[in-house]
Amino acid sequence: MPNIFQSMFLSGGRAKVWRIFSLVILLLIVGLLIVGGGYYNRGADWIASKTGQAVKLPTVKETPFRLGLDLLGGTQLIYQADVSAVPGKDQPSAVEGVRDVIERRVNVFGVAEPNVQTNLSAGKYYVMVELAGIKDTAQAIKMIGETPLLEFKEQNTEKRQLTAEEKKGMDAFNKSASKKAEEVLGKVLSNGDFAALANQYSDDPANVDSSGNKKGGELGWISEQDNPELFKLAQKVPVGKTSTELSKTSIGYQLIKNEEKRTKTDPFNNQPQMEVKASHLLICYKDVSGCESGLDKEAAKAKIEQLKSKANKDNFAQLVKENSTEPGARDRAGDLGWFGRGKMVKVFEDAAFSQKVGTIEGPIESEFGYHLIYKQAERKIDEYRIRNILIKTQSESDIVGDQSDWKNTELTGKYMKRASVEFDPNDNSPTVALEFDQQGGELFAAITKRNVGKRVAIFLDGLSISEPTVNEEITGGKAVISGKFDIKEAKLLSQRLNAGALPVPITLVNQQSVGATLGQQSVNASFRAGLIGFALVALFMILFYRFPGVLAVGALAIYSVLVLAIFKLWPVTVTLSGIAGFIMSIGMAVDANVLIFARLKEELAFGKPFGAALEEAFRRAWPSIRDSNASTLITCFILIQFSTSVVKGFAITLAIGVLVSMFTAIFITRNFLKLIPESWLEKRPWLVGVNKH
Amino acid sequence: MTNYNIIGKRGIWLWISGILFVVFGLALILWRFKFGIDFTGGSLLEVKFAKERPGVSEVQTALADDKSVGNLGSLIVQPVGNQDMIIRFQESSEEKHLAVVNSLTKLAQSKTKDNTVEELRFDSVGPSIGQELKQKSVNAIFFVLLAILFYISYAFRKVSKPIASWKYGMAALIALFHDAIITMGVFSVLGKFYGMEINTTFVAAILTVIGYSVHDTIVVFDRIRENLPKSHLDFEGTVNMSLNQTLVRSINTSLTVLLTLVAITVFGGASIRAFALALTIGIAIGTYSSIFVASPMLVVWEKWRQKKAH
Repeated sequence: MPNIFQSMFLSGGRAKVWRIFSLVILLLIVGLLIVGGGYYNRGADWIASKTGQAVKLPTVKETPFRLGLDLLGGTQLIYQADVSAVPGKDQPSAVEGVRDVIERRVNVFGVAEPNVQTNLSAGKYYVMVELAGIKDTAQAIKMIGETPLLEFKEQNTEKRQLTAEEKKGMDAFNKSASKKAEEVLGKVLSNGDFAALANQYSDDPANVDSSGNKKGGELGWISEQDNPELFKLAQKVPVGKTSTELSKTSIGYQLIKNEEKRTKTDPFNNQPQMEVKASHLLICYKDVSGCESGLDKEAAKAKIEQLKSKANKDNFAQLVKENSTEPGARDRAGDLGWFGRGKMVKVFEDAAFSQKVGTIEGPIESEFGYHLIYKQAERKIDEYRIRNILIKTQSESDIVGDQSDWKNTELTGKYMKRASVEFDPNDNSPTVALEFDQQGGELFAAITKRNVGKRVAIFLDGLSISEPTVNEEITGGKAVISGKFDIKEAKLLSQRLNAGALPVPITLVNQQSVGATLGQQSVNASFRAGLIGFALVALFMILFYRFPGVLAVGALAIYSVLVLAIFKLWPVTVTLSGIAGFIMSIGMAVDANVLIFARLKEELAFGKPFGAALEEAFRRAWPSIRDSNASTLITCFILIQFSTSVVKGFAITLAIGVLVSMFTAIFITRNFLKLIPESWLEKRPWLVGVNKH
Repeated sequence: MTNYNIIGKRGIWLWISGILFVVFGLALILWRFKFGIDFTGGSLLEVKFAKERPGVSEVQTALADDKSVGNLGSLIVQPVGNQDMIIRFQESSEEKHLAVVNSLTKLAQSKTKDNTVEELRFDSVGPSIGQELKQKSVNAIFFVLLAILFYISYAFRKVSKPIASWKYGMAALIALFHDAIITMGVFSVLGKFYGMEINTTFVAAILTVIGYSVHDTIVVFDRIRENLPKSHLDFEGTVNMSLNQTLVRSINTSLTVLLTLVAITVFGGASIRAFALALTIGIAIGTYSSIFVASPMLVVWEKWRQKKAH
């Protein structure tokens, strides 16, 4: 008789069975390493220490189970967001704003892997916050429930000034820097090797790579967005040449070598990236916040269609001035200047980029209303590959350090009514308008009055988001944050501010917390229940089905390892009910085996030879296994769709269990059975529980 | 092979099932459920006393007298194990929660000096969430039923003779209704007399019972489907033969599933005990119904059709 290894490489049915068997064993080993990686690693360490590091087994990655809060201990809070005051289409973004704010606050709280999700269910918005291992729930609730902090600050005039001595030191430093820069420029101009000079003189930290080697001043490709100061310098230097004069940037003297110029391309499709110059005409309608056109949606659409029929290149600017509902359209004629991808809302951008230069397209519907777009020009985006030499200069902050530029005022988000996106009448750039209540308006007036000509800053949760200069006292309780942002950023900011002012109040509707003790108890109890359940099933199977029962228990063990490995790899969040689902699936996994064995017994009782009976048993058991499991799977998938976390966990683990059990019963048990030589079994019919006549 | 005349005595089984169905159905209508806080809203606090555990009435009076706690709505205090205690109240705010814990700590320390109260679990649910959960559960059950009816009708599309494949689906549905109503009825009785509450996991349990009931019925029907074309017996005889052929398997499978469920019920910890109990009852009944209700229904249906034809 050939040994196992010979059998494996022989052709024919049994060789295939052995190959499948070794595949199953391989699968089992991989599964065991995933499930019990920690035990294996400790074993490997132990062997290494016992053998004096002579036998060193490779270690494996330890993947933990992802435990649910009921097992880990922790808190789940569910807030309902009251969006009744927000117009329908702004509701999702208002809730997202709430989510962002909560997430930032939770991060401040220092929770390991917090989980903050929004959820729309039966027309209501919920925000679910999961805090693993948090004991002080009350504190967490307090932090989350607080109104997000919007603060107005004025300049800190008590900042420390440089002493005369420090000033002298700084001047001396900058003077020597200037001298050094002149000297290096001289060397560059006398055709010195730019890379070598960069390595010798450059103070730029970017000239040193992560392993400490100097890079010869290489900075790579730079576009206007990446570094406007260096980009401007590069534009002045012809390709292949170096700077011929000293240029000063905010951090010091810069000498550059322009190595190459190219058009920026999209790394995914290698197409050149473009910028577009366009102007637009906007007709907003009633649902859009801040729209004063008074038109409903149909009327707005009709109006813009009618305008489009009249519009041409020559009268477009005039039409915009007369009709566009965009604030400031009269002055700027809807001009948007040059913009690249990602700067405008997507629908608008897609339309503007795809239309031909010189055409007027539309109407395009965005969240601001209907647009007509006149595309004036299109160009490629330039990039330069440059090297630089930086000779650093000192500024005040280098000496006295970062002092807080700002001090608090009384005005906070508490006094804000709402924020919305508007357009600056002068340059048509998007701005964020704030509206205060009565008291906030008075405070704001006082602040602007005492800070005319100076800057005030707007902080959201401790971060400065805008620092406008005050031109005059502002009464009437309205402020505008203008600045360097595009439509998208302006929207985000207003959304965050609105969350700060909480036009969407949140209420805690559901709170669950589980102490670490109870979590641990639950894990232990479930573990015990699982083991006992498994042992009972094994005992039953072996007593009733004898030899095939033993094989089925083997398959069941492999089944359990595989399912647990899937839980770890996917990863499935293991909750108490999830464990119940898994234990239950052990019982159901046996069902497939029972069906097959019951058939096997019958076929053998008919007097069929073992091999044929086995094939027949599997063939005939299959339809019932398929149909019966299908109904369980249907139930599981509907549960997953319609239920909340607890039930969902149960359904997910049960579904995984059912799917894997079909695989193990058909594939693994069958192969185990096929491995047994028929003649051996046929001589011992009691092993399969059949009394042959 | 033994051959029990199950179908011949179908009257007995159907009567037993009918009576159980009516009794527990009535219990369900009369007493409904004792809904847990998942559905009604409210709070559940589980605590562990390090030293001496105060009595139920002591806790009740202490909480009622404590002014900082105020009105809790309904209050239920229930000792668990040796040192734990579950306290339920209607109010679901964080302030009430803290006040109750403080009050309990004071009470514990008045009994034994270095006694402490460890909070094991706190659940609180707003009333609107509860309503929504009920609605969702009803939706889920409805869709499960519909999907199963469609699936069975599809799976049995090739055996339209002598009875149409959708009747297999209907018979399976009747059996699962029977299982679900009796299981729910048992919990209604348990709620009335033992204060057992149902929560969201109970819905999961009922849905699983439904899935399992069908799972079991399909195996029997599958045998009928297989035997019908080649059987020399009439429809009634074929069904009875099929039942006998699958009887051992049905009992064995259910027994193994029940073994694991009993293990969970006994060893699985308090929080899933009710869940496992519901599954245990439901699956036991589901096994019964797949043999003694679903298949006899097919025969009854067929007889009735024949009678009508004459």
